[in-house]
Amino acid sequence: MAQVVATRAIIGMEVHVELAARSKVFCAAPSPAAWPEPDATDGEEAGPNTMVDHLTMGLPGSLPTLNGRAVRDAVAVGLALGCQINRRTRWDRKSYFYPDMPKNYQISQHQEPLCVGGRVEVPTLRADGLCDPSAPPTGRWVRVRRAHLEEDAGKLLHEAPGGSAIGCSILDLNRAGTALLEIVTEPDLTSAQDAVALGTWLRDVCRGLGVTRGVLQRGHMRFEPNINTELTLSDGRTVRTPVVEVKNLNSLRAVRGAIEHELREQPRRLAADGLVMRPGAKTTRGWDERSAATVLQREKEEAADYRYFPDPDLPPAELSAAWVEGVRASVGELPLEWSRRAVRQLGLSGVEAAQLGPEPGLRGLFEAAVAHATGLGCPAERAARAVAVATLQSLARRANAQTAARHEKLGSGAAPVGAWELGLSGAQVGDVAAMREAGELSAQNADALLGLLCQGEHRGADARRLAQERGLLSHRDQDAMAQWVTRAIQEHPAAAADVRAGKEAALGRLVGAVMKLSGGTADGAQARGALLAALR
Amino acid sequence: MIAASAQSIARRVAARQDSAGAVVAAAIERARAVQSRTNAFTEILPEHALARAHALDAALDAGAAPGPLCGVPVVIKDNICTTAGHTTCASRILAGYRSPFDATAVARLAAAGAVVIAKANMDEFGMGSSTERSAYGPASHPTASGRVPGGSSGGSAIAVASGVVPIALGSDTGGSIRQPAAFCGVVGLKPTYGRVSRLGLVAYASSLDQIGPIAGSVADAALALRVIAGHDPADATSLPDAAADMSQPLGRAPASLRVGVVGPEATEGLHPGVRAALDRAAGALRDAGAHLVPVQMPHAEHAIAAYYLIATAEASSNLARFDGVRFGRRAALGPLDGIDELYTRSRSEGFGPEVTRRVLLGTFALSSGYADQYYGRALRARRLIKGDYDAAFAHGCHALLTPVTPGPAFMIGEKTSDPLSMYLQDAFTVGVNLAGLPALSLPMGTTPDRGQELPVGVQLVGPPMGEPALLAIAALVENAGTSHA
Repeated sequence: MAQVVATRAIIGMEVHVELAARSKVFCAAPSPAAWPEPDATDGEEAGPNTMVDHLTMGLPGSLPTLNGRAVRDAVAVGLALGCQINRRTRWDRKSYFYPDMPKNYQISQHQEPLCVGGRVEVPTLRADGLCDPSAPPTGRWVRVRRAHLEEDAGKLLHEAPGGSAIGCSILDLNRAGTALLEIVTEPDLTSAQDAVALGTWLRDVCRGLGVTRGVLQRGHMRFEPNINTELTLSDGRTVRTPVVEVKNLNSLRAVRGAIEHELREQPRRLAADGLVMRPGAKTTRGWDERSAATVLQREKEEAADYRYFPDPDLPPAELSAAWVEGVRASVGELPLEWSRRAVRQLGLSGVEAAQLGPEPGLRGLFEAAVAHATGLGCPAERAARAVAVATLQSLARRANAQTAARHEKLGSGAAPVGAWELGLSGAQVGDVAAMREAGELSAQNADALLGLLCQGEHRGADARRLAQERGLLSHRDQDAMAQWVTRAIQEHPAAAADVRAGKEAALGRLVGAVMKLSGGTADGAQARGALLAALR
Repeated sequence: MIAASAQSIARRVAARQDSAGAVVAAAIERARAVQSRTNAFTEILPEHALARAHALDAALDAGAAPGPLCGVPVVIKDNICTTAGHTTCASRILAGYRSPFDATAVARLAAAGAVVIAKANMDEFGMGSSTERSAYGPASHPTASGRVPGGSSGGSAIAVASGVVPIALGSDTGGSIRQPAAFCGVVGLKPTYGRVSRLGLVAYASSLDQIGPIAGSVADAALALRVIAGHDPADATSLPDAAADMSQPLGRAPASLRVGVVGPEATEGLHPGVRAALDRAAGALRDAGAHLVPVQMPHAEHAIAAYYLIATAEASSNLARFDGVRFGRRAALGPLDGIDELYTRSRSEGFGPEVTRRVLLGTFALSSGYADQYYGRALRARRLIKGDYDAAFAHGCHALLTPVTPGPAFMIGEKTSDPLSMYLQDAFTVGVNLAGLPALSLPMGTTPDRGQELPVGVQLVGPPMGEPALLAIAALVENAGTSHA
């Protein structure tokens, strides 16, 4: 066989998003994917087969009714993906026997999906994995073939929880019937990096729209890349390797790993067995995290006969143009657009904007706090800077501590605590930011004040009054500052000499000394100025 | 033979001239006697019924407002979910199954004061026209020995015809209320699709199924329909105005009444007794001042084929849930058997031969490569058939007069070995289900057949939501069968 001189990756993606509607998609049973969540541990604390009703169990005589919130959420995502919305949409039954599917058919959309024909520009990712709001547009677009609504399956376990062997299978139908949005792209992705970038963007969008909690390790979003390669051979011919679909990846790390593995392996497989892409040559593989390799699941994609037909229990859904426009208006600015605007208009750093944009709760707190501080007369850019520090540093640090404590208590599966969930209002954070920017709070005391406001007894407290009571406001007293400066220089003669000799780096030690002498109430910038004046 | 009417029972119980307890106890006695002759019931529920009746009596004595069916004993077809007793669809696969909820229609009956005394025998899952295809064994005709009662709601028709109860619920997918009503000489009403909630009706063919009453008189059928009709948000196919027009008592027939009759070619091959019944009904309608106008049903010949493709296609999917995993009967498995054996054996052992035949037929009709040729064409035929009815009603007909069946009740065993001749029983009834229309089977006297005197009926078909007019027209000619006979 001729040598391979070039490899081009051809990657399409199917993404399943568990929607966060309170109840399941075709019945009133509570959904384990609900957001706000039914409890801290994602409904998994609920015993198996407790989040079920007659329809979930497929009982005789039960009937489906459509969950309007799930349709709204699916349409919102479709609009964010640039799709057209089918105003008349139909429900089809997809038939196959499997115990995790109680009716032995899945209600899905085959002929007339809700959303068709969108496109998304692949973003650039930062090294930390966030979408980069500072990078220029990539110009690489992925077409979205369709996005449709269907019901999720239950869970079938073949070993006991904990991993011990059992002589039977265990069925938990809590997840069965949960609203699932399936997004299918055209095979327009050309690298693992772009697939991960698209996945990241999509997670941010879905979380920003409030349609899913988007915790990947909980299965709220599951990725199934379709991968093959086009190889250019030394004799000028091109051949395509058979498509591999990798099922059920629930982390972006796994998406990257599976695609990279396949792109390495497919040319080797072709060299070994000579099999090229043709109808029926598609195989299904799974991802084995431990060996970092894909594993064959189904040899040949048999032409599975799902015997689709329109579900006679559910009339087609008719969406009015006004209703669709209402959803469009609620979609608003997508996370990456927000982050780009925050960099451009508010002067946030790339990392700050990248962290705030995709986190709807945090972004809400940020926007409320900036609006409050601006209302107090603080210039918008300076308010934004101070609020970014307050939220992404002071509050994030305390949220992380609470998350760690919760994991200690409930296990690592427990939902994390966000900085917006510490009980602080936008007004409180805005007050702190305004005082900080007015020079009334040192950085250290601003942080300390935010810490106090996180404590239960200060919930809802007026930030300024609390700062006064605790003596956290900066001294603007010139005499006191002069005394602290004199003492600091006396106590640190070496540092003072260095500064006099022009080594400004030594100034930090003296500023720290002034802060310590003042009990944290001095303003850092003021101390810096006074020290320089005294030493020159 | 017919029991006291539901109206008179409810009136006497409400006036405390009768106690619900005594009425129900007498109905249970009759049910036991009828059961030994006809096998009409899958289960008689004396404890439940008497407890319910005594509770009703206590409430009425304490001054509770009486419902329109207070103290009226009723029978429910076994494919309609009741928390009382079992719900098995007369199938081995649901042996021992108890529903955790009542069908909406059953809950509405109970709220009106009716008391469920028994579950009625039927063809398994509603698939049959004779009530011979039951895991509980065949039921037999209430008056003509050796004959079938019709089906699939045979037990419900027997219960009313034998005077056990004045009202029974059946279900009608292709004629399963109207045909046994005609065979047994009682009134059977298949409502407009969406008029009565299907919640709790174990689905055979969801786009065709409808619950309806079998009753001893048009007035009782109307009363029962008023109680069970109404929008149900739990059924997405329930009509928003399902209760409209139903709150009025049986009104007068429309002025300048026009009734469509199909041409003589459509009635070729009919039993002479059926033809005579049609003539009697036509005469009575004329006497009542109706104009009889000929109507064309050019696509009627495709109704049976379209029906059996659509009904079996939906059934193959609806019955997939009976797999032995979560409820119902599970086959005994060996240590090496897996999920495929569990499915195959539970279903093979649980379903009777007619259900198996229809599930296979429907699976084939939907399978890749054949779906358009069979299921798709059947849907197109369905639209044409509906168009025939629409055209007839657009020409000003208030109702159509047709046969219910080609002949009177046939002999037990006569058609079991010939499914196609059994399917042809439904030639005059399935079109109504395909078009989603209301239709009523009205007794119209009797006819001799092979040495026995048998009831015959006629069918009146109305436009969508046309039940009030349909019932009023039926009341006009209700007694023509006896007076002209």
